[in-house]
Amino acid sequence: MEALGVRNIVKQFPNVLANDNVTLSIQEGEIFALVGENGAGKSTLMKIVYGLYTPTSGEIYVFSKKEDIKTPEDSIKLKIGMVHQEFMLIPRFTVTENIVLGDEPRKGFLFDYSRAVKEVKELSDKFGLKIDPTEKVENLPVGIQQRVEILKILRRGAEILIFDEPTAVLTPEETEELFKTLRALKDNGKTIVFISHKLNEVMEIADRVGVMRKGKLQGIVNKTETNERELALMMVGRDVVLEVPEADVKRGEEVFSVSNISVKNPKGLLSLKVVSFSVYSGEIVGIAGVEGNGQAELVNAILGFWKPVSGKISINGEEIKLITPYNMRTKGMAYITEDRKRRGLVLPFKARENVIMGQHTLYPFSNKGVLNDKEIDTFATKKLQEFDVRPLDICSKAESFSGGNQQKLILAKEMSMKHNFLLASQPTRGLDVGATEFVYRMLVEEKKKGIGILLISLELTEIMGLSDRILVLYNGEIVGEVTPNETNEEELGLMMLGLKRKEKVQ
Amino acid sequence: MKEFFYRIFVGRREKYWWMNLLVPLVSIFLALIVGAIFIKSTGRSPILAYKLLFNASGLIPGPFWRSSFAELLLSSSMFIATGLSFAIAAKGGLFSIGAEGQFIVGAVAAAYFGYAKPFTGLSAIVHIPLILIMVMFLGGLWGLIAGYLKAKRGIHEVIVTIMLNWIAFQLIEGWLVPTGGPMSAKVETGVSGTPYISPTAKLPIILYNTRLNISILIMIVVVFLIWYLLYRTTFGYEIRAMGFTSIFNMEAPKVSGVNTSKRIMQIMFISGAVAALGGSFIVLGILFQYPPVFEGGYGFDGIVVALIGQNEPFGIFLSGILVGALRTGSTAVQIARIPKTFPQIIEGLIVAFIALQVLVRYLLFKLVKAKKRVKEVKSEGGIS
Repeated sequence: MEALGVRNIVKQFPNVLANDNVTLSIQEGEIFALVGENGAGKSTLMKIVYGLYTPTSGEIYVFSKKEDIKTPEDSIKLKIGMVHQEFMLIPRFTVTENIVLGDEPRKGFLFDYSRAVKEVKELSDKFGLKIDPTEKVENLPVGIQQRVEILKILRRGAEILIFDEPTAVLTPEETEELFKTLRALKDNGKTIVFISHKLNEVMEIADRVGVMRKGKLQGIVNKTETNERELALMMVGRDVVLEVPEADVKRGEEVFSVSNISVKNPKGLLSLKVVSFSVYSGEIVGIAGVEGNGQAELVNAILGFWKPVSGKISINGEEIKLITPYNMRTKGMAYITEDRKRRGLVLPFKARENVIMGQHTLYPFSNKGVLNDKEIDTFATKKLQEFDVRPLDICSKAESFSGGNQQKLILAKEMSMKHNFLLASQPTRGLDVGATEFVYRMLVEEKKKGIGILLISLELTEIMGLSDRILVLYNGEIVGEVTPNETNEEELGLMMLGLKRKEKVQ
Repeated sequence: MKEFFYRIFVGRREKYWWMNLLVPLVSIFLALIVGAIFIKSTGRSPILAYKLLFNASGLIPGPFWRSSFAELLLSSSMFIATGLSFAIAAKGGLFSIGAEGQFIVGAVAAAYFGYAKPFTGLSAIVHIPLILIMVMFLGGLWGLIAGYLKAKRGIHEVIVTIMLNWIAFQLIEGWLVPTGGPMSAKVETGVSGTPYISPTAKLPIILYNTRLNISILIMIVVVFLIWYLLYRTTFGYEIRAMGFTSIFNMEAPKVSGVNTSKRIMQIMFISGAVAALGGSFIVLGILFQYPPVFEGGYGFDGIVVALIGQNEPFGIFLSGILVGALRTGSTAVQIARIPKTFPQIIEGLIVAFIALQVLVRYLLFKLVKAKKRVKEVKSEGGIS
C-alpha cells in the first residue's frame, strides 16, 4: 500500500527551480532513501511534504488519500514526522520534558511529570530506543539527542518518518546505532524516508533509492539491483553547464602550505585529521568533497577562528605562529567566503565602505587614522566599474545589492588587496550562471597573475574545470590527489564518497 | 569647518536622510499629545501645564529666562555626557549600562583631585585640565574592566556593567565618603561628605550671575570629537562595522583583519571616560564636593538621551538639551497641580514612540509616497 505519494511537485524559489515535476511513491513499511548532491532538491521535496514549504504546483497523497498540507501541524495530524538536521530540542529540559512538550499529560491544571516519565519509558521500551527519561538533554551526546527527536515524533503517532541527513552530525558508531533503530522502526511497520548523499549508508539501510539531480528525479532503483557506482553516476550526471576559460601557467614557488594539521570542531569532534598540502604560485588547487567532510574546519583553521590541535600553517615559506585573520592577510592572503552576508560584507555599510574594508588603514584611504573620502570614492567607483557591480552606486548599502553583485563587491574588495595567496571557499555558492562565470573568469585572471589559489568547492564541475590539482577531502582526511586530466567526475565522485583512494600524483 | 557644515546639511548622500531627524521630532510631538491626554484625563489643564513647563525650561525666552537657560545647559551637559557614553558603546555593538557607575567614579575623582593638597596650589588653568584628565582616565579604567572581561573572557557587558555600577556605588558611599572614610572631611570642619574643592578647581562661569559654567562648551567639543572619531577615522569605521555585525559575532570585520577584542576594550574605555567627564561636572560646577548621599540617575537617563538622539552625537546633543529642558521646567508644573515627575512621563513616552520608529517611519513613508502620487497624477493630467 502506498504510504506517501507526491505527484508532479514543482517548487520555484525566486532564483532556482528547486523541484521540477517530481513524482514518486513510497510504500508502507519500507525504507526509502532519497539521494542527490547538495541543492539537488531532496530536502526541499521533503519539506514540502512536511508542510514547511508550499509547492508551486502538484499534489500530495498520504495513505492513498489526497491531502492539502499547509503547515507542519497538518502533516503531524496525518502521522508524518520529520527529524531535522538541526535538532529542535531545549537543552535545559530533561528528555521527558522535551518529548512531551506541546502535548503534556496533565493532572488538573498541573503538568504530570511522573506520568510523562512513565509514558516515555513505555515508548522507549516499545521501540527499543534506550534512553534515560530524566537526564537533561544538554548532557547527552548527539546520537542520543537524535533518539530523543525520534521518540518525540513517535509519541505523536507518526507512521511516516522523514530523516533529513541524519548521519551528518553522527560518528560512525552512532550511525550504526541509528541504523539499528531504523530497522527496529521498520519492523514495527513504520515507513521511513531517509535523505542522504552518503551512498555507502544508503546501500546499507535502504530498500529502494530515489536519485535526484538539479530538482529532477533521475530514477528509482531497488537496492538489490544497483551498486554505489551506478548511483554515483546518476547523482553527479555528466552535463557541464559552464565554460571555463583556459589558462596555461607555469607553477612557481610555494606560497601556502599546511602540514599535519588537525582541527576539532566546536562540538569537540576531530573533523580534520593530519592534513598536509601545499599551494604553489600560478596554480589552482581544488579541494573536492561532500559538505561537512572538513571544509569548514580547514577554512576556520586558516583564518584562526578555530585553533588547530596540531600542525603548522605557513605562507610564502614563513610559518605563522599566531594565526589571526590580520596576520594572515598582512602575510599575503585574500579570502573569498561562501557566507557573504555573515563574513563577506557589513550589510548596512555602503558599497564604498565595504570595498575598502581590510585596507582602510592603508594610505591613501586613510592617513594617520583619518579617512580620506575623496580617495575612497574614486577607488570605489573604479572598482565597481572594473568588477561590473550593478547598480553602479557607491553609496548604496551592501544589503540592497543582489547576491551576485554582493559577491562581485567581495571580489573587488579582496582582489584589490595585496596578496599572492587566495583562499576561495565555495566562491560560487548560491550564484546564478552569469555571476558564476564572472567568478571563474576572475579566478583564472588571478592565476595568470601568478597567484596561488586554494579553491574549496562542492561543485564537481567547478573543481574539474578550474583546478590544476585536485585534493579530495573525505571524513576529514585527504583521500586522493589527482589532476583533472587523468581523472573524471565518476572517479572523483567515488573518492568523495569514500569508496576509492588514490595517493599522491608523482 | 566649511566642509563640516556641508557634510551635515548639504552633503547628505542618503535618500530620505531627513527621516532620521523627522522620526524623533514626530515622536516628541506624539509624546506631548499623549501627555496632554493624561493631564486632561485627570481634570487638569494640559495647556497650562505645557505653558508652565516650557516657560520655565529655558528653551523659550521670557521672564527669568536667564537663570533657567543657565540651569538648562548645566544639566544638559551631564545628560549629553552620559548619553554619548551609551551611544559610543552602542555604535560598537555593546550594550553598556555602566554610565551610572562611571559617572559617580568621575564625580568622586573630581572631588579628590579638587581638594587634595598637592594640587590645590596650582592655578586654575593647570588645575582644571589636570582634574578632567584624571577623571577621564579613572572613569575610562572603570569602563575598561567591562571591556576587558567582554573581550578576553567573553562575559556579557550588560552583567558586568550592572555589577560595576553597584561596586562603584558601595565603594564610594559605603567606604570612601561617609564620616571616617578615607575621603571624608574632618569632623571639626562640620562638613559631611568630602571636603569642598579648592576655588581653583571650580569651573569658570560664563554667564554672569548664574551657575552656567564651561561644562556645556566642553561637551560641544566632545560631541564634535566623538562624531569625528566615529565618522572620520578608521577607528570609528571599524567600530561601526563591529556594531552592524554584532549579531553575527562580528565575523565580517574579524575576517577583514580588525582586532575586535582590542577595539572592544578601547570603546569601553572611551565610553567610561565620557561618562566620568559628566560626573566631574556635577562636582566641579554644582555641588563642589561629593555629598554623603548622592542623588544619581544621570547614567540611566543617559540611555534615554541616547535613544532619543538615535545614538548619533549631534542627535544626542539635541536630545540632551531636550531632556535637560524637561528636567529644568519640571518644578514649575507643580503650579498646575501636577507632580514634578510629570516630565519624566513625557521622556518615557518619547522613548516609547522612538521604539516604535519602524511604525512611525512606515507611516511617514506612506505619507510621502501618497503625496508624490498625488503630484504625479496632477502632472499627468489626472490619468493614473
